[in-house]
Amino acid sequence: MPKLKVFKDDSMHEIPFTRGNSVRDIIGAAGISIRSGCLGNGACGLCLIEIVAGRAEGLTQSEQLMLSQQQAAGNMRLACQTVPGNDIAVRIVNADARSHWHSLPADRQPFAAGDADAVADEPPQSGMGLAVDLGTTHISATLWDLAGRRRLQGRFGLNPQHRFGADVMTRLTAAGGSVDAAESMARMPLAAISRALFDMCAVEGISPAHVNHVAIVGNTPMLSLLTRTDPGIMLDPRFWTEPVECVSDELEAWVTDLGIASDAAIDVVEPFAGFVGSDLMAGVLNTGLTRRPNRLLIDFGTNAEIALWDGMTLWVTSAACGPAFESSGIQCGVPAEPGAIYRFRRQGEGSGATDIGYDVLGGGQAAGICGSGLVDLIACLRESGELSLTGSFTGAVNGSGYLVQDRRPAIRLTKGDVDMFQRAKAAIAVGVRTLLARAGIRPETLEMIYVCGAFGRHLDKSNAQLIGLLPQLDPGRIEICGNTALAGCEELLLSPSRRRELAALRGRARILNMAHTEDFEQLFFENLFLQPLELELG
Amino acid sequence: MTNPRIKNLIAALLKGDCPESVAQSRKLIEGGAAPEEIVVGGVEAAMTALDSKCTLEQFNLLEIMLAGRAVTEVMKDLFPDGEKLPSVKGKILVASLEGDIHDLGKNILKMVLTGKGYAVVDCGKDCPLEKLIDTAGMEQPAAVAVSGLITPVIPLVRQVRPQLGQRGLARVKVLAGGAALKQSSAAQLNVDYVAESAFDILHYLDGSMEAQR
Repeated sequence: MPKLKVFKDDSMHEIPFTRGNSVRDIIGAAGISIRSGCLGNGACGLCLIEIVAGRAEGLTQSEQLMLSQQQAAGNMRLACQTVPGNDIAVRIVNADARSHWHSLPADRQPFAAGDADAVADEPPQSGMGLAVDLGTTHISATLWDLAGRRRLQGRFGLNPQHRFGADVMTRLTAAGGSVDAAESMARMPLAAISRALFDMCAVEGISPAHVNHVAIVGNTPMLSLLTRTDPGIMLDPRFWTEPVECVSDELEAWVTDLGIASDAAIDVVEPFAGFVGSDLMAGVLNTGLTRRPNRLLIDFGTNAEIALWDGMTLWVTSAACGPAFESSGIQCGVPAEPGAIYRFRRQGEGSGATDIGYDVLGGGQAAGICGSGLVDLIACLRESGELSLTGSFTGAVNGSGYLVQDRRPAIRLTKGDVDMFQRAKAAIAVGVRTLLARAGIRPETLEMIYVCGAFGRHLDKSNAQLIGLLPQLDPGRIEICGNTALAGCEELLLSPSRRRELAALRGRARILNMAHTEDFEQLFFENLFLQPLELELG
Repeated sequence: MTNPRIKNLIAALLKGDCPESVAQSRKLIEGGAAPEEIVVGGVEAAMTALDSKCTLEQFNLLEIMLAGRAVTEVMKDLFPDGEKLPSVKGKILVASLEGDIHDLGKNILKMVLTGKGYAVVDCGKDCPLEKLIDTAGMEQPAAVAVSGLITPVIPLVRQVRPQLGQRGLARVKVLAGGAALKQSSAAQLNVDYVAESAFDILHYLDGSMEAQR
């Protein structure tokens, strides 16, 4: 049997393999993971390896499209497309993001809207509670002392389902195609939640058996995968604006898996529609969006959910943004963790010659750019004139992109990155405009904009406005909120009155599919330009 | 001999400047150029430049849409309604199939192919299979290109080739593209080719037209 040598970080593994399998399959079977955003068909271009010894068949068509000339010349390949015939040695260039649990940043507490008193006269609870936000990329969970209404611990980590694909469509397709895949994807988040719970309980010195109430919110595809709802429903556009029932008949098994109290209540908070999950609704509760009219909420993610309250109706839509706001989206993208460049600023007034400084989270060596850094950098380059209105680099910046850092790791903003950002922000702009038009609200009468999601945490509002990511509104009326889904979920865990509020909102929501918007293409086109948003309803 | 002023048209098209493109094209007509000459020397040259730019650098959707719109305007101006577009290279049918109301990708393909001298017949979005096959029967295209952004259209895509075959149109090539279809292989979709981008389809068509000659 031929052997595959794999170099990953500082370790080396030697794996005998059968001919005909891809490097991705061979190392996957040996338990070595590599970064990937698709099912291993060359569609994402993320599973980069370097062949350091030996040979494989020539570049496939996908590789010719995905790899730059320098990469191809440097023996770079995609692990899923490389099928070795004989002994070969490869180095993993794009390692899988590590999957361990981090302490949660304390950026949002439940009942932040200033009415903690609202729950003061509610019936007292006892025991421990667990609140979970099940996201496509991340899972966040907090452990609560229900009697004392105290948050004891918080954790967030990667959703292990990412092995089946970075986006929900790929995962749903995989679940629809194989019972085994569907089974794994239902079990993976539970196992992850269980580990997070165990970790938090260990620190607190208590047993998970004290947990008697669990609340789980999430986007509809995630909840449907968790509860083994027919994936075909989620893939059918007719259900995107219709209610989708995500109910599990295996709650008893979940209780056992999580090791919580045998009589514990588990609430999988029902989504409103195919693309309006209970995560968004939890955010609506947490921000107090429906307390006063003319408030807008944008939850940034692979799909940005946008909600507008006009005093009577909650208008909701979803904008497909692609991975632009996820760390996996841009070529040098990293999560907002130590090493991430989170802020860029221009240091001189001159145009042309670049003088852009940056700050790194944690202060050390820069490893890449996070979401707020991406927004800043695009805005700075627009201001200096090195990036055109249409998203092309000009002057001294050549086609391969703007170089931020020369030494390893090289960090650059590519034209493809800018293109991806333009599409994402255009989709959001059309969504905001569509909601405003349907509700008959003039943009200048907006009272508040809540910016939700991990993406916005370090966002510079005026830079975001300069390139049309956020509407032109007094920055004092724009609030950066962080993960409101989790905070809202905690409110649902703690407060029966919040649960009633949520139930009442169901009848008030009107869900719009933007693809039905007349002139969608024209509006989308107009909003691709890197300039402040023009929301006049015409 | 190439008209030197055609360079101005190419530059305006690449910039995506609609009024300037139409103005330059009209100037060429006034100067005695034939519409076909403008298509071959101007519009097609601009598309070729855009194509290589997208290959060398990276794809930018807005740039393509801007140029595509300018090309469409010039073509409309050169060949107003009623006059048949010259089909130098062949006729291509494009559609987003029933259930799929996304058609941005299909419209970009249409602009790219039109700009490179193909006659494009657009069956629109949410297009029933029957309508696509009937249109193919009437128009006798060289290829049918379907775009799919959502996976539920995959079973429909698989039926295109057999249904064309039943109408005696087995020679018509079937091409697929779009986010949902790109994830599958040509064999899985029962099509001749699965394209990565609009320009990828263009290269495939240019190649197969060349081979037939």
